[in-house]
Amino acid sequence: MTLQTGPITARVKLGVLGMALAAPLAFAGAATAQSYPDAGETLDWTIAFGPGGGNDIMARTIVDILAKYDLYPGEIAVENRAGGSGAVGWGYLFAQDGSGYGISTTSGSFVTTPLQADTPWQPADFTPVALLATDDLVLVVNGSSDIQDIGQFIDYAKANPITIAGTGTVNVDFIVPTLFAQAAGFEFEYVSFNSMADQTTALLSDSVDAMVGNPGEILGLIDSGDLRALVYSGASTPAALGDVPTMGDVGHDIGVSMPRGLILAPNAPAEAQAFWIETMKRVVETPEWAAYIENNTLTPTIVYGEDFRTFLTRTQNGFAEVLRSVGAIQ
Amino acid sequence: MDIFSDLMMGLSIAITPINLAYLLVGAMVGMIVGVIPGFGPSAGLAILLPLTFGMDPVGAIVMLAAIYYGAMYGGTITSILLNTPGESATVASTFDGYPLAKQGRAGPALVMQAVASFVGGTVGVILITILAPMFSQVSRSFGPPEYFLLAMMGMLTLIVMIGANWKLGVISALIGFALGTVGVDLETGQSRYTFGSAELIGGIYFIPIAIGLFGLGELLYAFYTGMHRTGSGGLVQYDKESRFWPTAQDFISTRWTMVRGSILGFVVGVIPGAGATIASLMAYSTERSLSKNPENFGKGEMAGLVAPETANNAASSGAMIPLLTLGIPGSASTAVLLAAFLLWGLRPGPLFMGQNPELAWGLIASMYLGNMVLLAISIFAIPLFVQIIKVPYRILGPCIVVICALGTFTVHASFVEMWLMVAAGIVGFFMRLYGFSPAALVLALVLGPLAEEALRQTMTISRGSFGIFLDRPASVWIIIVTIALLIILPLIGRIGARAKANKATGH
Amino acid sequence: MRIVFLLALLGGAVFYTYIAFTDLGFLTRTGRLGPGFFPRIVGLGIIVMTLWAIFDALGQRRTAAAADHVTDELEDARWRDFLLLVALVIGYAVLIRLFGGWISTILYLGVALSLLNPGQLKQNLLVATLFPSGVYLLFDRVLNANMPPALINLPF
Repeated sequence: MTLQTGPITARVKLGVLGMALAAPLAFAGAATAQSYPDAGETLDWTIAFGPGGGNDIMARTIVDILAKYDLYPGEIAVENRAGGSGAVGWGYLFAQDGSGYGISTTSGSFVTTPLQADTPWQPADFTPVALLATDDLVLVVNGSSDIQDIGQFIDYAKANPITIAGTGTVNVDFIVPTLFAQAAGFEFEYVSFNSMADQTTALLSDSVDAMVGNPGEILGLIDSGDLRALVYSGASTPAALGDVPTMGDVGHDIGVSMPRGLILAPNAPAEAQAFWIETMKRVVETPEWAAYIENNTLTPTIVYGEDFRTFLTRTQNGFAEVLRSVGAIQ
Repeated sequence: MDIFSDLMMGLSIAITPINLAYLLVGAMVGMIVGVIPGFGPSAGLAILLPLTFGMDPVGAIVMLAAIYYGAMYGGTITSILLNTPGESATVASTFDGYPLAKQGRAGPALVMQAVASFVGGTVGVILITILAPMFSQVSRSFGPPEYFLLAMMGMLTLIVMIGANWKLGVISALIGFALGTVGVDLETGQSRYTFGSAELIGGIYFIPIAIGLFGLGELLYAFYTGMHRTGSGGLVQYDKESRFWPTAQDFISTRWTMVRGSILGFVVGVIPGAGATIASLMAYSTERSLSKNPENFGKGEMAGLVAPETANNAASSGAMIPLLTLGIPGSASTAVLLAAFLLWGLRPGPLFMGQNPELAWGLIASMYLGNMVLLAISIFAIPLFVQIIKVPYRILGPCIVVICALGTFTVHASFVEMWLMVAAGIVGFFMRLYGFSPAALVLALVLGPLAEEALRQTMTISRGSFGIFLDRPASVWIIIVTIALLIILPLIGRIGARAKANKATGH
Repeated sequence: MRIVFLLALLGGAVFYTYIAFTDLGFLTRTGRLGPGFFPRIVGLGIIVMTLWAIFDALGQRRTAAAADHVTDELEDARWRDFLLLVALVIGYAVLIRLFGGWISTILYLGVALSLLNPGQLKQNLLVATLFPSGVYLLFDRVLNANMPPALINLPF
């Protein structure tokens, strides 16, 4: 009971009818070192998903922090441009090549959608600002299972054919257990579901042996004993999960996470990039941001500028390799 | 788990001024939608879904649910006064409702239908309160194999109940399944039927199709049948002063009818694929066969109006059970309601009530209040609805187009989806004209992906063996119930059809 | 017309099934049910059922052919009204794309009402201005929902 009833933040809607989809703005020539940010320019903030999702919540959290601490002088127009698993929204940002006033938050689909669909853009095309956090997963079994810890699980998996459930295929839910199984030396059948609720139902009805999921969404069931957490994929286990070991702790580190970060349009002016890096350094210091990280059980992983681009490329290559090896993508 | 304390907690949420306001608006809007001929709960919900953006989830769900069951109240007014059912679930209400109005008993008929709706709706909510937590417990043993079987049960029941046009019903359902396969294949990540378009990766969205088929399609059909040329000439006048209220005899003679109609309606409503229309026809024919004077049915017998009215309202409540506890919609309108839940990031299912107690019990508590509100509205606001009936269709029609188009756009701010809605509207018109079933298409569009996924998950889990369906006790039970339904329902359906035929030739 | 509709449906079904068989695998490389499994069954199902319905319709047409002529005139009027409304709807959708939500609704309602409800100038003007304004206020101001943005901004 965490994310699910979170209210959809009231829409910040300042730019009204004039914002035509087909009018990408070209600021590249006009921007000068002193002029960013120009308070007269409206910041065009794209959320590539619909209201209420993880990406939406993150974007609106940042916008709220910017407003509260007066970190951005001009107006900010936030628009949900959902469609095509992010292809539409990020495609819109991609079209604002050279502008310093087009901005968007990233989530897992930023890496996976270009692998699946023929998007004109790749993650590395955009101007990177910062990686702010990563989504990591916890491996759980039914609370009534005989398996008590990850050691027993690996032994069981080596001896028996097992199934692990996750949400979707071309994403971290599939990659993480696959890499972990390779490292630990067992085999399993991956069963993909449409949502966390569906896969939890399958696990609780003993239809599958285990599942992976974002801890924030199943914390309630872990606390109540319905599910038993075995191992965590991030660098350090969140406090809410108690003494569950990380994959690194048990000697099978996989080094893959879903990046949640901030990007500008491709070829944004260097001043704009520098401004946003400085601004985000202040955003991540706020108590509101700390609360966001905790409420959504994210792992705070902060990387700025070009290092974020490197991180994206590395993550995408890692994903592509695993997905190609199982035939999920060509 | 103490049901009573849960209900009290829900009541404390439902009774806040803002949620009460949403409830009132929803009930009012639902009744108006019900009054407009051709428009039932599915169209009303789909078109008005965008109205709930910017609300908090509890308020939004409370309002949408009120629209859903409110439409059942409104649909009967035109059945009684105009002999035109507001929607298919109130067809049976014309059998005796209109004759009563012609005898000068329009007032008592309108009041009794409101009372009957209230009784049906309230008994339905009481049964939800008791049964939903139990169902949630049972459904916790349901995994992919059971979900596949339940989805199949819903589709088979729906098609069996279509009756004579079953072939076209099957085609409609298959088209829904086909549309449901568009987008990224969940299991392999491969794109299907997207033709390189980014808009289609996420699949064909359900809301534009529902608005097109039920909203625009019905409107086009109404124009085709010439609804905009005729006024509301057949409207029966009623006396507001004398003989408006029903007599004590009306209540006494129908008290058991209400009990029977409520329970029958609820049970039929719980069955995926059956629903309010079937419930109302079944209740009508049951009541006539039990009546001491069956020859009066069709000539203005009060029990003949009360029976379908209690049943269709109880059925709408019953349909909430599989929606809340399984996440499986049993009808087109609950499919729209499910889409609304999903839009709010809520996934109904076995865990839903346990994980979202405020929302689930707030919703259930609001349904008690909603039925009271609707009882009051549907008695005291009758003159208002008569005014709405008098608005000519040639003016109402173009305005409905506006709501359909802008409503579709607001969901995702997508022009592509607006065009999809227009296309679905034109196809929906032809489906309506040639006897296809838009409801089967919409339900299949929701259940299809669910069934495909569940089947493939099942096959992965069982490593390719269909034996898994016979190994799991829950699966075996669902198979038994499905077979029983497929045998029993057509028999009962035939009784319902006979009731309709007798009525047509009766006088 | 029924036959035409069924034939169009058949054409769509054949195309759908063709892709299911050529582009989508029946099984995945690991031997599970593949992305083509369900579409192949559904596609073949639609083809078979539609062919059956076409034969039924052909049979009915032969028996019903005689009775048809009586209603021809009414039938024409019905189709005229249907096509008029379809044209209005498509025109409206194009207008929305060009001029956004509010102005196109006024234009569309003005045209639609003057065609469907002729002679009632005052009533039509009232509905065509008040209704779009009400909808605009409700959606854009009260509910903060997305209204269609204009491609061409009019100078007012």
